[in-house]
Amino acid sequence: MKKISKLLLALSFVLSITTSAFAVTVVSWGGAYTESQKLGYGDPTAKKLGIPVNWVDYTGGLSEIKAQKEAGKITWDIIDVYAKDTIIGCDEGIFVEFDFDKDFSPAPDGTKASDDFFTSMPSKCAVGNILYSWNYAFNNNNVKGTPKTIKDFFDTKKFPGKRSIYKDAMSNIEFALAADGVKPGKGGEKVYNKLLDDGGVDRAIAKIKALCEDPNGGCVFWNAGAQPPELLANGEVIMATGWNGRFFNAQMEGTPITQVWDGQILDYEYFALVKGGPNQADAMKVLREMTSTEGLAGSAKYIAYAPWRKSSIAIIDAGEPWFKDGKTSMVQHMPTAPANTKSYILMNPDFWADNQDEIGEKWEAMKAGL
Amino acid sequence: MSTEQILSSDGIPLETSLKKAERKNKIKAMMLVAPLFLFILITYLMPIGDMLFRSVDDRMITKMLPKTFIALEKWDGKELPDEATYEAFYNDFYPLAMAKESGKLYQRLNYEKSGFSSGLKKTNRKIKTFEKNNYKEQFMATHEIWNEVEYWTALKNTAPNWSYAKYLKGVDLTFDQDRNIVEMPEDRKIYKTLWLRTLKVAFFVTIFCLILSYPIAHLLATLPMKYSNLLMICVLLPFWTSLLVRTSSWMVLLQQQGPINDLIVMLGLTADDNRPELMYNVVGTFVAMTQILLPFMVLPLYSVMKTISPSLMRAGKSLGGTPFVSFRKIYFPLTVPGIGAGSLLVFILAIGYYITPALVGGASGSLISNTIAYHMKSSLDWAFASALGAMLLTGVLVIYWLYNKLVGIDNIKLG
Repeated sequence: MKKISKLLLALSFVLSITTSAFAVTVVSWGGAYTESQKLGYGDPTAKKLGIPVNWVDYTGGLSEIKAQKEAGKITWDIIDVYAKDTIIGCDEGIFVEFDFDKDFSPAPDGTKASDDFFTSMPSKCAVGNILYSWNYAFNNNNVKGTPKTIKDFFDTKKFPGKRSIYKDAMSNIEFALAADGVKPGKGGEKVYNKLLDDGGVDRAIAKIKALCEDPNGGCVFWNAGAQPPELLANGEVIMATGWNGRFFNAQMEGTPITQVWDGQILDYEYFALVKGGPNQADAMKVLREMTSTEGLAGSAKYIAYAPWRKSSIAIIDAGEPWFKDGKTSMVQHMPTAPANTKSYILMNPDFWADNQDEIGEKWEAMKAGL
Repeated sequence: MSTEQILSSDGIPLETSLKKAERKNKIKAMMLVAPLFLFILITYLMPIGDMLFRSVDDRMITKMLPKTFIALEKWDGKELPDEATYEAFYNDFYPLAMAKESGKLYQRLNYEKSGFSSGLKKTNRKIKTFEKNNYKEQFMATHEIWNEVEYWTALKNTAPNWSYAKYLKGVDLTFDQDRNIVEMPEDRKIYKTLWLRTLKVAFFVTIFCLILSYPIAHLLATLPMKYSNLLMICVLLPFWTSLLVRTSSWMVLLQQQGPINDLIVMLGLTADDNRPELMYNVVGTFVAMTQILLPFMVLPLYSVMKTISPSLMRAGKSLGGTPFVSFRKIYFPLTVPGIGAGSLLVFILAIGYYITPALVGGASGSLISNTIAYHMKSSLDWAFASALGAMLLTGVLVIYWLYNKLVGIDNIKLG
């Protein structure tokens, strides 16, 4: 069904660009996340600036925008990307470099943007958007016992059944090493050090391969964020890795799933502005508005991701219960909540920017041989 | 015999004026076909030609690093190149890095030797800080790939403008340092498995289609008109439905909590907590693809069976043959052209399928066409995707040729 709705979406997108030629096209990950962006800051921005904002779905990576560039017809203005892709895209001249404090609005109290954001950006072409986590969840009805650790995800003796994991190596090999006994250490440094060692990546991939080939286990690869909760809900798999906000929204809709916060990967998400996009000047205005204090706080009304700005967190804190249902406090469900950060790995974008091609080859070979 | 030339009324030899008139007609006829011819040329032949060209074209690196290749010509390949070569590389790479145009280089060189991508990316970031002279030292301090002869050999190996390396990769072969053809390392071998899997899936889907279609086609051809029309609609209706809709419907039907599994449990064939997996494995691929390709088998079979006179079977029986013998000796041989046409159609379509297996096949659903799509859309290795496409095309042509040799293409009947 997903493909059809995507097709419809693409069709409506084609129709909409023919009708509104001056809209700004923002590309993001679809499903509940795009919904939160659209309602949280997309629609308010469009209303305020009078610039229509179109939302388009993709499944990550720079290949599509590179192909657009190659073909000489860029149709995207703003892309919601992984940190590693801001680095690669910046190096390869796909994205616009920002003059951060000039391009982005200060906090309401006048603090300049670079101080209001939690940390510095991974590249000059990135502006922070959310903090989220890669964690796993299980279906309460299909699992006997309660999985508690990342080791349990790989333990097919204790918890027999299929798992769903991300289509790419990113996230999977970190989980695999953490489950294989590598203590993450502070912010998961040790996991990345191990991965950089000779044989570290092979060890992680072998662990995943063993899980997928295990007759008591088995893998279904997911490529869109909406899939893990869906696969859990219809009983196709017993556990799935995924993005915490998607699990949270499914829980709120009554899906009987539980999230596990152990060895999860805390990751930052960014917006990047496409160089030579169809509507670059307007896109910059839209981007400034969307990443303002109110903008970023707005999207947290609809999904359990933490905004990047300290001032946005302050707004949410003051406005709890912040969730759209008017009774759920958001901060405790965010990946940054103290209860959710006892043992985590901090995503290392430089590692992925530098090594993704080499690891990707091995990963694809493993997948094809299953 | 008169040798006198026959002249037409205006004195020109009849033969010449006839030719002239015919030529006019020919041109007129050509004009009629011209739109179709142009259409095929532009939308079919030219893209295929471009694809074949891309699969062997390997001029990009030589164009991007011209000075380096001139410097490397003199290099003997035994020890690390001299300072001048490093300087030449610096002179090539620095402007690329400044203009942010070095991205394609990482990818292309990483196909040649794994490790280039991370090395070049790091170099790209550091090169702004390089000082004049002593380039060799500075490169070597930046990343270890510059300390290894193998990487320079790999770079030098990309010098030829045309390369069939992508075709080798398609069958798990590669060049070693000395340009000998060797097998890929074990953890990179994928394509032989994929080719075999693709052939296996296509073969079994064809067999299943044949087994299921034969009786349907027979019914269609022999039932009275009012029933056979209804049956024909049943065959054609799914044929007109979108591929995606049908695949998604199968996903709904086959899932673990889906209707088919419910039915199996209801009939008591298996316990509720032990539901069989019908999807995300090879079973799902076979079921969905067979259903989707069924009409391509039914229709040719039907059109052939329609032409077989019922009196032939009656004649067989009246001569003392049992129904089975008359079927085997009379009916079946007459349907062979239909079987051939249907099988060829289904097999060729199945070999290029990728959406359905990707959706319902799970990890085992990745076939050669998925790989082509992956390299077109994700890795952007268009040259390799083209090479795989060309190999698939050749494979199909070989099957066609074999079929022609064994059965004869004239025997095919599509209706």
